[in-house]
Amino acid sequence: MTDTPLSTAPLLLILPLIGFAFTAAFGRRLGKRAHIVPLVAIAAVWVLAMGLAIPALLGDPALGGEGSSLTLFTWIASGDLIFNVGIHVDGLTGALLLVVTSVGALVHLYSVGYMSHDGSYWRFFAYLNLFMFSMLLLVLADNLLVVFAAWELVGLSSYLLIGFWYTKTAPGLAAKKAFITNRVGDVGFALGLMGLVVVFGSLDIHTVLAGVEAGALVGPAATVIALLIFCGAVGKSAQFPLHVWLPDAMEGPTPVSALIHAATMVNAGVYLVARMSPLFAASHDAMLIVAAIGIFTAIFAASIAFTQTDIKRVLAFSTLSQLGYMFAALGVGAWIPAIFHLITHGFFKGLLFLGSGSVIHAVNGEQEMTKMGGLWRKIPITYATMLIGTVAIAGLPPLAGFFSKDEILGEAFKFGYTWVWFVGMIVAAMTAFYMFRLMGLTFWGKSRVHDESHVHESPWTMTLPLIILAVPSIAIGAALGFPFADGVLVHALEPIFHPASEMLGHEHEAWTLFGIDGLLMLASVTVASIGTVVGVRLFRSDNNEFLGRVTKRLQPLYDGSRNRWYFDDLNDLVFVRFGRKVANALWWFDRRVVDGTVNGVATLTSSGGRGLRQIQTGRVQNYALGIAFGLVAIAAAYLVIAG
Amino acid sequence: MSMIAGHLEPYLVLSSLLFSIGAFGFLARRNAISMLMSIEVMLNAVNLAALAFGAFMPTLAGQGVAFALLIIAVAAAEATVGLAIVIAIYRNRKTPLVDEYDAMRQ
Repeated sequence: MTDTPLSTAPLLLILPLIGFAFTAAFGRRLGKRAHIVPLVAIAAVWVLAMGLAIPALLGDPALGGEGSSLTLFTWIASGDLIFNVGIHVDGLTGALLLVVTSVGALVHLYSVGYMSHDGSYWRFFAYLNLFMFSMLLLVLADNLLVVFAAWELVGLSSYLLIGFWYTKTAPGLAAKKAFITNRVGDVGFALGLMGLVVVFGSLDIHTVLAGVEAGALVGPAATVIALLIFCGAVGKSAQFPLHVWLPDAMEGPTPVSALIHAATMVNAGVYLVARMSPLFAASHDAMLIVAAIGIFTAIFAASIAFTQTDIKRVLAFSTLSQLGYMFAALGVGAWIPAIFHLITHGFFKGLLFLGSGSVIHAVNGEQEMTKMGGLWRKIPITYATMLIGTVAIAGLPPLAGFFSKDEILGEAFKFGYTWVWFVGMIVAAMTAFYMFRLMGLTFWGKSRVHDESHVHESPWTMTLPLIILAVPSIAIGAALGFPFADGVLVHALEPIFHPASEMLGHEHEAWTLFGIDGLLMLASVTVASIGTVVGVRLFRSDNNEFLGRVTKRLQPLYDGSRNRWYFDDLNDLVFVRFGRKVANALWWFDRRVVDGTVNGVATLTSSGGRGLRQIQTGRVQNYALGIAFGLVAIAAAYLVIAG
Repeated sequence: MSMIAGHLEPYLVLSSLLFSIGAFGFLARRNAISMLMSIEVMLNAVNLAALAFGAFMPTLAGQGVAFALLIIAVAAAEATVGLAIVIAIYRNRKTPLVDEYDAMRQ
């Protein structure tokens, strides 16, 4: 065990856990210095994680390819069923580590500035470290039961952080909504795991995947188990129809939105499906459903993002939409582009969220874009970095989003899923449009800020993470994805996804500029450019007459989009109101029938006892008389029967 | 074995009569001592019946006597224990009348 390349890996889990425990225990007394221990812990985690992720991504013989495992201890041993806690690092883990620890460390730094005025400063950092521990456990674990535990732990930390300002009503409700909606998906996940235990007698990821690759799980059973596990992913990654919690989760502090609800936790679903890729590849139907839900969420959320006026909500729906892209990619079997998009999206969406936090900080906590505008002169660093993030997400070359999005669309087309490709193209144009709408309403045109004198650029702890995140937002696409179909990421992930791709019959082809690939790339750049041009032209200045006319003509569509296609109302109707009726009926049944039976038996017994007490006189001769009569009765009965 | 003249029935009639007297005494008398005496009467009625059966039914010859001897022994023991109890209660409650012994009802 000494020569394993993973000897430092347990520290990735131990350090944030220590940071959490220390801050939880002593943070209150440290006051404004509470961030030191968590920050140092995460910085150390980042260094260690890079030491694992970079070799893993660059195809180091020990960490690349199949990766390398380290069993820590046996968690549960029950008969033949043994659950070990272990760490596994390969290219996929490396990709996740890269995003999780980089964005995590920067968000910690950013929070030092952003949360500086908050009374519960220490509590925030304690939760953040708890989250980092849970997320790293999720990514590193080599057993699905441990993944499930970590899955719940990230859910818990998400709940705690969304409801961080628990004295206000909205965050409390949003936290509950997130937690409960996630439970719905997690039930499916848990059932899926039980199914895997039944089939394979183990939840060790390698055992399960080896079994699936050997063909031990096929047909409807594979579909059912894959879809049950996908349920968990739908909940955690906020895909339709369990997407409702993510927009509300924006009630949490902005660093949380950036870290958990954009860059890391919501990617857990994508990671899970990617990790279990052979299982999904074993069922064509499951893949189709994953692709359909993904691409539907992508266009559904993008259409809502069109009309939202809360800056963080727009980004939240954008996150939904981009996650939809990733699932669509997974569903068509484009595993590597999905993970590629996960990485690039983690960076540029983290950047955009932190930027939006910086904007909100600048305008005294205002989140409505209708009360912003013209901010670019006042907060130039935030503006510049957010512009980079916007161009990146819009998919314009040569920034990060272009590479990953183009690969998703290209592979969807080449694998024969033209409908996914077609909707994806529309979503790409929509994405560019609503992101430039966000930029226009926030930074361009005339200022609508209430009290302009207070607008100020954020402190260095907040702008530095923005600047640092801008670098991968520009460059990581090219760094990992160039040359096309032959880049670093392809080499790192190819061995991991090879079995699944083989099961699907997908072949790795060389990329051709003057062929289908070049055409597809040209098409995706074109739609992104169209979206960008339209967005910029409409929101460059305050020429809102044209917009007003369009809105008036499309009023029902506008209202629908603004009200999120009434999905929350539908949930309210079906689950809250109808649910209450059902609950009331059950309550009546409980009171009348269940309680009635129990109380009836009790009443019968007590009144019977009261009646029978009358014959207990306590006089010996009365009892003797009873015995005498009994004797006579028995003798008479004997005579009658025998005689 | 000596023969006894007559029939079985008169013995049984006498035995039932004695038993009825005993039972009536046990149920009707309030004095604990009288009740114990009534029990003795009933036991002896049973003894009589057992011996009569033993004498008139050849198949039961030995058993009737054995049974009677057993009952005599049990009756002696019962009288001893019963009297001891009665005396103990009497010391406690200062009355031999059983209808005053209603502690179980309380």
